[in-house]
Amino acid sequence: MPITVKFFYNFREATGKDRIEIAGTKDVRSLLNKLVERFGQKLAEQLYEPEREKLRNTVNILVNGHGIMTPHGLGTRLNDGDVVAIFPPVCGG
Amino acid sequence: MPSEFERYSRQMIIRGFGEAGQRKLKAAHVIVAGLGGLGSPTSMYLVAAGVGHLTIIDAQRVELNNLNRQVLHWHLDVKRSKVRSAIEKLQAMNPSVEIDAKLKKITPKNADGLLRGADVVVDGMDNYRTRYLLNEACVRAGRPFVHGAVEGFVGQLTTIVPGKGPCLRCIIPKEPPRKSVFPVLGTTAGVVGCLQAMETIKLLTGIGRPLVGRILFFDGESANFEEIEVRRNPNCPVCGGV
Ligand SMILES: [Zn+2]
Repeated sequence: MPITVKFFYNFREATGKDRIEIAGTKDVRSLLNKLVERFGQKLAEQLYEPEREKLRNTVNILVNGHGIMTPHGLGTRLNDGDVVAIFPPVCGG
Repeated sequence: MPSEFERYSRQMIIRGFGEAGQRKLKAAHVIVAGLGGLGSPTSMYLVAAGVGHLTIIDAQRVELNNLNRQVLHWHLDVKRSKVRSAIEKLQAMNPSVEIDAKLKKITPKNADGLLRGADVVVDGMDNYRTRYLLNEACVRAGRPFVHGAVEGFVGQLTTIVPGKGPCLRCIIPKEPPRKSVFPVLGTTAGVVGCLQAMETIKLLTGIGRPLVGRILFFDGESANFEEIEVRRNPNCPVCGGV
């Protein structure tokens, strides 16, 4: 059973998808690598700082509803059936 | 009072609401922290609905570039303090509501004191540093906190009930970068602020299913609402021990 990834707002724009299913990812880092492979530069730019070493602090990731702490959170393990949501922080008020 | 029965008659006839629901609103004390794009509609709808006691907190003055969305403040209010501007209109909308205004910046030192006595706190802030302060103070006091945020055509909303669902830190663990200027349409803030008032009324009356353990995303461009489940982080530095 694959994992489900849900994209919101700018990530939806960058991928052109609301959600996808994807298999064979062992942790969040490998998931993001696969997503960048598939959706290309625009998504990469939204996810990573220019040197691609660090996730931008404008990326929120939930795994089954749990916020992950980046950068340590990139090692968060993924299992079949997990649901990952990727969304930007909405800040204004 | 007979006039109150008349004023609230249309909501009191909602099934499950009744005089009992109205009395709960009247007995309640709500704090709206921030009187900008979110706090404007939230405080207006809470006052219109008959929440008995409202405290509004804001340290800023009205600026011309606020007026596209901060509908409590009008052209002639530019340069006045937001609390002054707001209390005038809110009190005129509904004189029977007790409203007090605090021209204060929320800090780590004063947060607990400022929020004391509130049944619900509503997030009308424009930055996460202060949102986290409110979140922490609410978790410490076991007090519900209705979070909302907007940008451009999009917004998000969740209701935090300490001990029952995740807190803001569980969902957004790291502070997003602060923006001094953010793009926003007034109607986006209207939608989310109005929903925050709705959540508050639900919490106070016990009607419905509050947005606890769920975050609701609103995308005005595609006219779409979508919720995702959010869960408590057992190691959350804020609510982990609650
Ligand atoms: Zn928490």
